[in-house]
Amino acid sequence: MANHWQLGLQDPSSSIMEELVEFHDHVVIVALAICSLVLYLLAHMLTEKLSSNAVDAQEVELIWTILPAIVLVLLALPSLQILYMMDEIDEPDLTLKAIGHQWYWSYEYTDFKDLSFDSYMVPTPDLPNGHFRLLEVDHRVVIPMESPIRVIITAGDVLHSWAVPTLGVKTDAIPGRLNQTSFITTRPGIFYGQCSEICGANHSYMPIVVESTPLPHFEAWSSLLSSS
Amino acid sequence: MAGEGGSEAGKSFKLLGFLDVKNVPCARESVLYGSVGSLVLGLGHFLATSRVKRSCDVAVGGFICTMLGYWFYCRYNLAKHRIRQRMLKEGMRNKILFEGSSFDPEKKQADSERSNS
Repeated sequence: MANHWQLGLQDPSSSIMEELVEFHDHVVIVALAICSLVLYLLAHMLTEKLSSNAVDAQEVELIWTILPAIVLVLLALPSLQILYMMDEIDEPDLTLKAIGHQWYWSYEYTDFKDLSFDSYMVPTPDLPNGHFRLLEVDHRVVIPMESPIRVIITAGDVLHSWAVPTLGVKTDAIPGRLNQTSFITTRPGIFYGQCSEICGANHSYMPIVVESTPLPHFEAWSSLLSSS
Repeated sequence: MAGEGGSEAGKSFKLLGFLDVKNVPCARESVLYGSVGSLVLGLGHFLATSRVKRSCDVAVGGFICTMLGYWFYCRYNLAKHRIRQRMLKEGMRNKILFEGSSFDPEKKQADSERSNS
């Protein structure tokens, strides 16, 4: 989850998010170079006289056409590479359905057994000490780590959005439509997200919690869930 | 859990408000090398030509080129290092998982060497 006052991206927990963070670093350095140049030119203009005898400026016009084109190519190539990488679906080990409701999420694991449960936010008065306010839920989404997971997202009433920043996932939940996303978690842990499409009074109070565990733990959890 | 955030947030230093030079790999070195390159090129040009304004232009251009040049070089090496790390991790895991079994790559290699000889 994000730290207090955090402005930057969260530490990545999926391979796609690692690529996105690297791309973000790349874009920020290019932005720093451009900002440095613009700040210098601004300072230069402020110290120069305001008259000029120039009638044409072919060289500088060539530079300020070619240079932005190069910058755009430098940004576009890795961006498109990651865009296509995000759309690859490589034979997922598990398919999970996430359905948005007002104002909770319900999840279904129907690959092997019919498992389904609702995930409500834990209200603040019921929150144990040390847990995160407005982020904890009563039933977490448990997934096996280092396995390709496909999530099919839809909604039961109004628009919602299933988002987990550290996994690099944000997909709209639209009634009557199935949207698909996939990811592979690179490490075990608990990953938090929140509904990202305005959906009514309690839009801020329907968080998402994904728990990534080793496969034996996931199997134990699913056995426990199916027996209860 | 909840109290660990403050120390982490205090450790970042953002250049111009958006580049976190402490936590982004290669960022600190890029900015430092860029600054040194800018100083060297700007001063060198001034010593050679005694033209102040043109030397300032060369210094800024040198900063941008040196910073970007080192950035791409460092990130390329970092990417190669990460790929090697992943291959090593995968290889170690496969060795532990398949050691002694028919899927053991070392056993397959030994068998092929024996059949070649």
